[in-house]
Amino acid sequence: MDAITPRGEADRKRIFRKRAELLARETDQHEREEEQIDVVEFILSGEQYAIESAYVNAAHSMKDLTQLPCTPPFVLGVVNMRGKILSVIDLRVFFELPRRALSDLNMLIVLQNDTMKFAILADVIVGSRRIPRTSLLATLPTLTGIRAEYLLGITPERLVVLDGGKVLCDSRMVVHEEV
Amino acid sequence: MANKDDEFLKRLLVTFAVEAQEHVQGICSGLLRLEQNKDTAEARAELVETVFREAHSLKGAARAVNLIPVETLCQALETVFAALKKDELSLSVGVFDLLQEVLDYLGAVLLTAGAERTHKDKLQQRQLVSRLEGVLKGETQKEESSHRATGVAPPPVITDLPEVPVAEMTNVVPLLPETIRVATHRLISVLLQSEEMLGAKLSSAERLLHMRSTSAVMGSWRKEWTKLLPVVQQCRNSVNSVSPREHMSGTAEKQTTLGKLLDFLDWNSDFINSLETRFTAQLKTTEKDDRLLDGMVTSLLDDVKQVLMIPFSSLLEILPKIVRDLSRTYAKKIEVIITGEKIEIDRRILEEMKDPLVHLVRNCIDHGIESPDERSAKGKPPLGTITITVAPRDNMVELTVVDDGRGISLARVRSAVLKLGKLSEEMVTELSHQELLAQVFQSGITTSPILTEISGRGLGLAIVRQKVGKIGGTVNVVSSSDFGTTFRMLLPLTIATFRGILVRVGERQFVIPAMYVERALRLFPGEIRNVENRKTISLAGVPLSLASLAAVLELPAPLADKEISPQLQIVVLNSSEIRIAFQVDEVLGECEVLHKGLGPQLSRVRNVAGVTLLGNGHVAPILNVIDLLASAIKMSAVTTRPEGTVDTLSPAAEIRSILVAEDSITTRTLLKNILESAGYRVSTAVDGLDALTKLKCNRFDIVVSDVEMPRMNGFDLTARIRADKNLQDLPVILVTALASREDRERGIDVGADAYIVKGSFDQSNLLEVLHKLI
Repeated sequence: MDAITPRGEADRKRIFRKRAELLARETDQHEREEEQIDVVEFILSGEQYAIESAYVNAAHSMKDLTQLPCTPPFVLGVVNMRGKILSVIDLRVFFELPRRALSDLNMLIVLQNDTMKFAILADVIVGSRRIPRTSLLATLPTLTGIRAEYLLGITPERLVVLDGGKVLCDSRMVVHEEV
Repeated sequence: MANKDDEFLKRLLVTFAVEAQEHVQGICSGLLRLEQNKDTAEARAELVETVFREAHSLKGAARAVNLIPVETLCQALETVFAALKKDELSLSVGVFDLLQEVLDYLGAVLLTAGAERTHKDKLQQRQLVSRLEGVLKGETQKEESSHRATGVAPPPVITDLPEVPVAEMTNVVPLLPETIRVATHRLISVLLQSEEMLGAKLSSAERLLHMRSTSAVMGSWRKEWTKLLPVVQQCRNSVNSVSPREHMSGTAEKQTTLGKLLDFLDWNSDFINSLETRFTAQLKTTEKDDRLLDGMVTSLLDDVKQVLMIPFSSLLEILPKIVRDLSRTYAKKIEVIITGEKIEIDRRILEEMKDPLVHLVRNCIDHGIESPDERSAKGKPPLGTITITVAPRDNMVELTVVDDGRGISLARVRSAVLKLGKLSEEMVTELSHQELLAQVFQSGITTSPILTEISGRGLGLAIVRQKVGKIGGTVNVVSSSDFGTTFRMLLPLTIATFRGILVRVGERQFVIPAMYVERALRLFPGEIRNVENRKTISLAGVPLSLASLAAVLELPAPLADKEISPQLQIVVLNSSEIRIAFQVDEVLGECEVLHKGLGPQLSRVRNVAGVTLLGNGHVAPILNVIDLLASAIKMSAVTTRPEGTVDTLSPAAEIRSILVAEDSITTRTLLKNILESAGYRVSTAVDGLDALTKLKCNRFDIVVSDVEMPRMNGFDLTARIRADKNLQDLPVILVTALASREDRERGIDVGADAYIVKGSFDQSNLLEVLHKLI
C-alpha cells in the first residue's frame, strides 16, 4: 500500500480523486450484482407465490363477489371496487391447485398494466418484500404447463415468483365469447 | 304557439352562442397559425381543412337558430377557405387582416345574438361579404385600398370593435349560461363516489329493519307477561293473606322469599318497560335519520347523474325546426318522426353527435327527399318522412336517420370517386355496391350536381364519420334507389341508465333491460304444452316457446321453489321480432339500471351485457337479451330432452331435505348450489344456534355443518343434536378446514356421522357421503 508522502497539494488531490473513482466504481458493481425486485407475496391453496409489485395496483379483502353465468371456470366473478367493476380470476384453475371453498377472508390482488386490469384470488397476502434478482432460479422440472409460462423464477426458499407482465398479457385470460 | 317558439329559440340561442364562440375561436387560432407560416405544406393543408370545417359547422349551427347574418358571412368564409384548399388562392397579409376582421365581427354579432340589429351592423356585414367575395376575384388589395381611401371601410378592428360590443355586452351577458368546464374524469370520479353512498343508505335501512324486529320481540315479551299477570296477582294475594297459623309452620319464610321474587318481577317489568320506551325513542330517531339519508343520497345521485347524463331529446329537439325551415326553402313537404329520445346518454357523446346529426338531416332534405311533384310521379305520398330513432343495441346505442327519398345514386358516387382521383378506374369498378356506397364518407365526395348554400361540398358525411369515429362509434349507410337511405350509427353508451326488471333464478339475481320485456305473467304448469318435444305456452292465442332461464344461463336447475308456488313465473322477452317466454323463479320488481362494463378482461361474456348496482348495494348481472334469445334457440335445437330428466337423481322417492350450517356466505352458497343441483332440497343457517332453531321448527333428513362458526360451533351443535330426544338420530356431517387428528376425534366424540376436511372436499366426496347416510 502506498503511503502518502507529502508531495504537495496537487499530488494529494490526484490520489484522492483516484481513490474516490475506485470506490465509486466498486459500489456501482456491487449494486448491479444485488439488483432487487419488489414482490408481493401471497398464499394460494397453501402454496407460496409472489408477483412483482410493479404490476400490483392494490390489495383488498374479497367481499360481495357476484358470480357471472356463462363464464369459464377461471373467472370467479366480479366485485365492485369503489364503484368500478373488477373481474376476479382464480389462478388455481390454471395451476391445477385444489379449490377450497371461498370465504370473506380471501384476499384479492389487483393487477394492472396499460391495457389490462383484473384481480387474482389469494388465500392470504403475506406482505411485500425485496428479493435479489440473481437469487431466482430459472425453473423446476416439476413446474410444467401454464405455471412454467407465468414463471419469473423461484427463490432458494421455494417462493414461486410469477411474471405479472405475462399474466396480464396472456390472451387466454381474456373472455370474448359470442353465443 | 308563437310564444312557445320564441321561448324555444331563446334557449337555442343560448346553446348556440357557446358553441359558436368555440367555432370562431377554432377558425381564429387556425388562421393565426397559418399566418405564422411555420408549418409544412402537409400541416398547412390540415389547418386549412380544420378552419374550413369549423366555418362549415358554424354555418350549419347559425342556420339552425336562424341567424342569417352569421350564416351569410360563414358561407363567404367557407368559399374563401374552399378556394384555399384547392390552392386557388394565396394568403396575403391583407387577406389575413380581412379574415380576422370578419371573425371579430362574428364574435361581436354572436354576443348580441337575438338583439335588434342596427343599420350600421347590416352595412358592415354587407361590406365584409363583398370584400370576401372580392378576395376570390383577386381584388383584395384594390378593394382594401379603395375602402381605406374613401373612408367607407370600417376602421381597424382595434379602434372600432371595442366601442360597439362593450356597450351591448353589458346588456347581453346574462344570456350566456353560467357554465363551468370540469374534466370529465373528475365528474366520473364524483359519480362513482356518490354511487358508493348507496351503501350507507342501505346499511341504514337494514339497521332499521333489525331494530324493528327487536321492537317486535319486545311485544312478545309483553304478551307473555300479560298472560302471567293473573298468576302473579294470585301469588301476591296469597303472600298478603298469610294467616297467623301459617306463620307458625314456617311457610312464612317461604312467603317472604316469594314476596321478594314478586317484587323483583314488578321491578323487572318496570325496567323492561322503560327500556322499551328508550328503544322506541331510538327507533324513531333512526327512522328519521334513515329517511333523511335516503332522501339525501337519492337526490345526490340524481343530481350527479344529471351532471353527466342528458336525454337524446336535448339534441333531437333542434331538428324539427331545421327541417321545417329547410323544407320551406326547398319547397318540399317533410315531416320528422323521432322515437327513443328519452334514452339518456353521456353528454360528451351527445355533444359530439350534434354536428353529424345536423349534417345528416340536411342531407336527407337536400339530396334525399324529392319534391312533392316528383314524389307524386313516383307514386309516393307527397309528404316525405325523416325518421330518427334511438334504440339500445347490446352495449351501444343505435341512432338511425332514415329518409324515404330517392336514395343515393351509385353512378354519381362512382363518378365522384373518379373525379376525386384517389382511386383508379379499375379499382372503382372492383368495389362492391356496399363498398362504393361507403365512399360517400370520403371528404370531397358529393353526389349533388349543384353546389347549394347548404350542401354539395362533400364535406358533411366526412365530418359525420370523423366525429362518430372519435367517440368510438361506427356509422354505415344502406340505400336503395327510390326507397330511401338509412344512416345507422352505433354509439357507445358509457354511462346510460335505463329501466330493468329484476328477476331471481335460484339464489342469483339478474336484471333484464325493461325495453325487451314484453310482459311478465304467472302460469299453472298445466298450461304448458309440449309441441314437438318443446315446451310452449299460449299467449293471447299465439304459441310461444318456453325456455328455462336457468338452463339458458347454464345454472343448476333450482328445485327448492317448486313447492312454494303452484304457479310458474314467466317473462316474455322480445327483440327484433323474436319472442320467447322464459321461466324464472321470481320477478322481484323494476329498478333503475346503471350499466357498468365488466372490465377489459371480460371483453364479451355470453348472455351478459354488463352489471349494475342494485338498490341493496350488491352487484347484479344485466342480461343480454339478444344473446339470450339466440342461446334459447340454439339450446332448443340441440337438446330435446323431455321434462323430468333433471329429477332422475332423486328418483320417484321424496326429495330429501338438508340443513346447511355455515357462516361464510360464499361457502354456504356454494354448498347450496352443489346440493341443489344434486337434487336435494336445501335450507341454510348462518351458525349453530340458527341451525338448532331451524331444526326445531322443520324436519330435515340430514345436517351439513361447518365447525368454526360464531355463537355456536359445529361440535356444540352436534352435541346439542345428540342430546335432543327428537333429533338424536339425525345424521350430521361436519365439513371443516380443521384437519388435525384431535379435531377429527372430537368430531367423533360429539357424535358426528362424518367428518369431511375442506382440503379434500370436492363435490363427489360430499355427495357420496350424503348418499351413504340418507
